[in-house]
Amino acid sequence: MPEKIDFSKVSFLIVDTNPLSAQLVRDILGMLDVTAVRTANNIERAQNVLRRDGVDVVITEHALGDESGVDLIDWIRNAADSPDRMTPVIMLTANSAQTYVMTARDKGVSEFLAKPFTVEGLYRRLVSVIARPRAFVNIDDYFGPDRRRRQVPYDGPERRSTDG
Amino acid sequence: MAKRAQIIPPRPDLKRKAVNFSKGFDLKLAPEVVEKLEKVVHKSQDKFTADIAERLTAMRRSIAQNAADSSLHPYMIKALSEASREIKGAGGTIGFDLLTYIGKSLNDFVEGMAELSVRQLEVCTLHIDAMYVVLANRITGAGGEVEAELLRAFDEACAKFRDVS
Repeated sequence: MPEKIDFSKVSFLIVDTNPLSAQLVRDILGMLDVTAVRTANNIERAQNVLRRDGVDVVITEHALGDESGVDLIDWIRNAADSPDRMTPVIMLTANSAQTYVMTARDKGVSEFLAKPFTVEGLYRRLVSVIARPRAFVNIDDYFGPDRRRRQVPYDGPERRSTDG
Repeated sequence: MAKRAQIIPPRPDLKRKAVNFSKGFDLKLAPEVVEKLEKVVHKSQDKFTADIAERLTAMRRSIAQNAADSSLHPYMIKALSEASREIKGAGGTIGFDLLTYIGKSLNDFVEGMAELSVRQLEVCTLHIDAMYVVLANRITGAGGEVEAELLRAFDEACAKFRDVS
């Protein structure tokens, strides 16, 4: 029997300065039977929601006026007053150049989806963070999901046993 | 010296409360479910096109108000950058792929600029006019040969005038 996701059990926070964009994501989530959706149009409000209510999944824009969704991710992952450092964060943004993707990844984003987006693309990210969560890594200046997406088979010579 | 990486297993609580074998949506959506979800997007098309039209008007207004005074260009460029980024993101989502291409082209063009020359302003205005045409004629999808030619022309104009001040 195949696995299913009961989205009615999952709460979301959408962080976007564009109310239309936030409403579209809210409507799509509504069609998936999500009932608990909060929205915020800046980082401070998002922090307040996260501190006060806590949510299961955050969906944030990168461009938040003069602020950046990356700063929100940084706060969630690293701040002493972060309510949950392992909260899954999906970045849904029109800032899709490689540099934005890399910066978000290095701050601990869970999934990245470029606008324009398709409902299937968004759904795949939701499945990923809810049903297929990645391990977290804590090292030096990084705390976040394991950035290695796949295991690449190595068929070269075994060097570890002779190294050193 | 770098410390050893601490690997923290994925936390099971969210998966435990939402994933099951009886109720909800399959991990891979059936085509009919995707179609149902896409209807939500289509429903919002009118709101988005009205919003895009407003952003185009705001960009035109910003150019009209600020172009003559180069000290105001940073504000104008910020307005162009933000509006074009929003159009880039919204266009393709609601089926207007050309708006995404042209919005991206404009967004890339003004990226990092502090001032615009007369020619560069013309390039911006041409982008805005083209987006108006796409919207007014409701040209969805990527368009045809004419539209492809237009995009090539924009690429060439942007490359030619991007670094000329």
